Amino acid sequence: MHDSNLIRNFSIIAHIDHGKSTLADRLLEYTGAVTKRELKAQMLDDMDLEREMGITIKANRASISYKYHDQVYTLNLIDTPGHVDFHYEVSRAMAACEGVLLLVDASQGVQAQTVANAYLAVEAGIEIIPVINKIDLPAASPEDTALELEQVLGLPAEEAVFTSAKTGEGIKELLDAVIERIPAPQGDPDAPLRALIYDAKSDPHRGVICHVRVVDGVVKRGDKIDLMGVGSTYIVTEVGQCMPKPKALEVLRAGEVGYILAGIKTIVDVNIGDTITLSSRRAGELLPGYQPPQQMVFCDFYPGPGTETAELREAMEKLWLNDCSFTFETASSDALGIGFRCGFLGLLHMKIIQERLERESDVNVVQTAPTVTFEVALRDGTVMRIESPSELPDMSHVEHIGEPMIDTQVIMPADCIGSIMQLCLDRRGVHKKTEYLSPTRVMLTYQFPLSEIIYDFYDKLKSMTRGYGTMDYELTGYKTGDLVKLDILVNGIAVDALSVIVHRNKAIHRGRRLLIRLKKEIARHQFEIPLQAAIGTKVIARETIRAYRKDVTAKCYGGDITRKRKLLEKQKEGKRRMKQVGSVSIPQSAFMSILDPGD
Amino acid sequence: MESLGLYLHIPFCRSKCGYCDFYSVAVLNRPILPLIRALARELENRLAERPGPISTIFVGGGTPTVLPRPELDELMSCLKQVVDHDHPIEFTVEANPGTVEEAKLDLLTRAGVDRISMGAQSFHLPELQMLERLHTPDEIPRSVKSCRSVGIRRINLDLMFGIPGQTLAGWRESLHHAVDLGVEHIACYGLTYEPGTALTARRDRREIVPCDEELEAEMYLAAIDDLESAGYHQYEISNFAKPGERCLHNLVYWRNEPCIGVGPSAAGYLQGVRYKNVSNIEEYICKVEQGGQAVVESEKLTGQDLAGETVMLQLRLNCGIVFDEFLLRTGVEARLTYARSIAKYVQNGFLKVTDSGVALTRAGRLMADTVIADFIDEPRSAPRCRAGSTRRSKWKMENGKWKMRTCRR
Ligand SMILES: Nc1nc2c(ncn2[C@@H]2O[C@H](COP(=O)(O)OP(=O)(O)OP(=O)(O)O)[C@@H](O)[C@H]2O)c(=O)[nH]1
Ligand code: SF4
Ligand SMILES: [Mg+2]
Repeated sequence: MHDSNLIRNFSIIAHIDHGKSTLADRLLEYTGAVTKRELKAQMLDDMDLEREMGITIKANRASISYKYHDQVYTLNLIDTPGHVDFHYEVSRAMAACEGVLLLVDASQGVQAQTVANAYLAVEAGIEIIPVINKIDLPAASPEDTALELEQVLGLPAEEAVFTSAKTGEGIKELLDAVIERIPAPQGDPDAPLRALIYDAKSDPHRGVICHVRVVDGVVKRGDKIDLMGVGSTYIVTEVGQCMPKPKALEVLRAGEVGYILAGIKTIVDVNIGDTITLSSRRAGELLPGYQPPQQMVFCDFYPGPGTETAELREAMEKLWLNDCSFTFETASSDALGIGFRCGFLGLLHMKIIQERLERESDVNVVQTAPTVTFEVALRDGTVMRIESPSELPDMSHVEHIGEPMIDTQVIMPADCIGSIMQLCLDRRGVHKKTEYLSPTRVMLTYQFPLSEIIYDFYDKLKSMTRGYGTMDYELTGYKTGDLVKLDILVNGIAVDALSVIVHRNKAIHRGRRLLIRLKKEIARHQFEIPLQAAIGTKVIARETIRAYRKDVTAKCYGGDITRKRKLLEKQKEGKRRMKQVGSVSIPQSAFMSILDPGD
Repeated sequence: MESLGLYLHIPFCRSKCGYCDFYSVAVLNRPILPLIRALARELENRLAERPGPISTIFVGGGTPTVLPRPELDELMSCLKQVVDHDHPIEFTVEANPGTVEEAKLDLLTRAGVDRISMGAQSFHLPELQMLERLHTPDEIPRSVKSCRSVGIRRINLDLMFGIPGQTLAGWRESLHHAVDLGVEHIACYGLTYEPGTALTARRDRREIVPCDEELEAEMYLAAIDDLESAGYHQYEISNFAKPGERCLHNLVYWRNEPCIGVGPSAAGYLQGVRYKNVSNIEEYICKVEQGGQAVVESEKLTGQDLAGETVMLQLRLNCGIVFDEFLLRTGVEARLTYARSIAKYVQNGFLKVTDSGVALTRAGRLMADTVIADFIDEPRSAPRCRAGSTRRSKWKMENGKWKMRTCRR
């Protein structure tokens, strides 16, 4: 019989790669939800891209049964992504839970997303079980890690559970801790239905799958339901839980996590964070929903060679119906034609969306350099937001330009602090705080212009800290800066898709670097190609691509013939994939070369 | 009647040169006789498929002359059946300086060999060492002399330019040494960094600095000028010959005429099919023993692929493409099919119109691949789309016909 005391809802949260998905595997295996034969590594990561990259992009869920003191409990777990771009997935998952397992890799210690995710749990007011994972690693120092957690987040070290998601050690203790320490869900099964849509997914065969947490009431097949925020009505065709394969159930009751199918066609018809209620017995109040995820990075997608704008649009719409975490609208460029200005949660998110477009719809995408939004104040008093340097009005009308600022936490070994502070200074960072997590590890808080860190700061941080540095950031607002538009001219033609907005002090440096990169990217032609960087009409840097002098195969006999022909065909094919600016062919990678902010 | 070439690949060398990507291995402890028996068997099969007469034979490799005398003898006797002493044909054997003892050469001439193709590469020791060649400069004239002494009529000498460290003056010296030896034929190859070779690896590790492209172009033009004034006429991008001494076997390739290829890694072109044999001696022997041949790749050339390869080969020749002959060979009217490319390159001076076709100019020869690539691409680039149509990209050229592209997934 249904008893909400026998339910536990929790998420697994952690810094990227600390072992969330692998721990979920062990929980599934230990409780017999999947057999050894069915089990594959990180099995909840079901997207091809997730499996290839070995990271979780979308939150995933599973319901498992566990016997504790002769009672069978249902545990609903949600595996979340660790990467900062997918923070919003973590907050959504938590709204469906009474607790979290906060994983820390015992060989890495507390990292930036450990802190950020833990704060989310604290804000949500739910139970945190600290889990020190990967204790099997030779480099693991479980006790120190537990102490660090205590030091940084005030989670008592003695409360930590020690596990190895590799060997299975500590899994039973962890399951026991879940039952003992995470509160059973509250909620009134007799009250009018209120179910929170905490996630939704489109399925090609079954329509939209709404993942819900039933807060009050019950819902079953055949019920007529209202999506309260959107104001639409559907008939429930199935309710159930992911075990991890979907399994239909009679009902979902208050306190339970599960899914609802109701013949909803597309994901646009659903608002994640919306409340489901019964048409016949409506709940009075909506549950608190979510802030929509905020796009931080923008770039243009243009149809690459062999792809038409209409095809790209079709592909983008199709993907968006599946995953509306990005935004897009029509844009155009002299160099690249008609395309789309897109907004992303971060750089990884951008790469993933591009990859999915190309894979899932067989289109070719040319991507311009990512940029941030700027706030432009005009002399006539109006303020506009622009997401692309090409939208910048004539500078004579511009009063000033503001750029987005972020607060950033960087965690690193203490011996790296000098070089990282120098890096932060180079990136126009303003120091706010230095805190020691332990004698050997330190957390810096800085304010930065978003544009300075969005591209490669993370990579730099990683390499300067031997891989140990981690970071997290949060948008705080806009701030006026001495910003200028830097144009790039290829063979005398300004290529709008290569323009960037930069701080005046960095313009020359940036211009030079950019031209050097471009010089590497653009193959030599039969004629000389001048490259210039200019602010307005003033050229501040130049480079030249020499004409090539010799392009001939020395030997061509029997065995080489077909190979040579195919090689020439392939070169041509490659050239066709490039963009033509005047008589110069520019490879797609050149449009990304602005990524390198240079130092 | 079309010529029919025969190429025999002998995959043995004394040691591997740094730039070489031909299939060859050290001769020691290898199953030479079984290999020769397999070569004979494959040849017999090919001749059954396409009976002679053979007009040119080229025994290459590798270095055929590293074979011990008895084995070399055995090889030559296999070729007896295709050599008709009453109707002399061009019969070339490749050799390296220092591998041509007179006894072996004698054996070759008695078998009908009338041409030796000698890989000299350079007359400067540091350059030979850079290339990891085994011989020294002074072995070159000695070997040429040996060839002459047994009555070899024609000698091809291969030279290489663009070697790291080579100077223009040094290159011209090598050219003059070759000329002074009085050889009939000189080939000048720009050093190419083939993937997977020791030299390419050294370049990638930045142990050597490749020759500057500008200098390489100068070296190439110097070869054309110097050889021309010494009486060698260029007839192909890399090949020069005294009047009447062009290498007929090479012409078989560049005219895209049929050629039987026999031996491990050998390629052939028969009945419109280009094929390539397996590049492994043991596998080769095993396959031939089982099935009479050892093909691993083959492709029937038709339509635009055939035309493309013919363009690629014939444009290499100084006489260029002859439109009527091209039409006969490929079924493609070159004048129309390549109209855009022809116009473009005649205008910029890379091509010239001849009586009956088009040919590269001196400047064009330096940029041959650019020109050829445009030719090959012209019929492949998409047809004009209807106004307003957005579907152009769904079309793809296949066997000379436009077909709807099938989706990648
Ligand atoms: N030795 C050892 N390796 C582990 C353990 N747990 C996970 N790993 C390994 O750590 C890597 C990352 O594991 P995941 O489970 O994908 O990590 P994650 O936290 O889900 O990563 P994201 O979803 O990308 O944030 C994988 O190579 C795992 O095999 C453990 O307890 N011991
Ligand atoms: S001798 Fe000729 S075939 Fe042998 S390794 Fe040297 S270049 Fe290659
Ligand atoms: Mg994961």
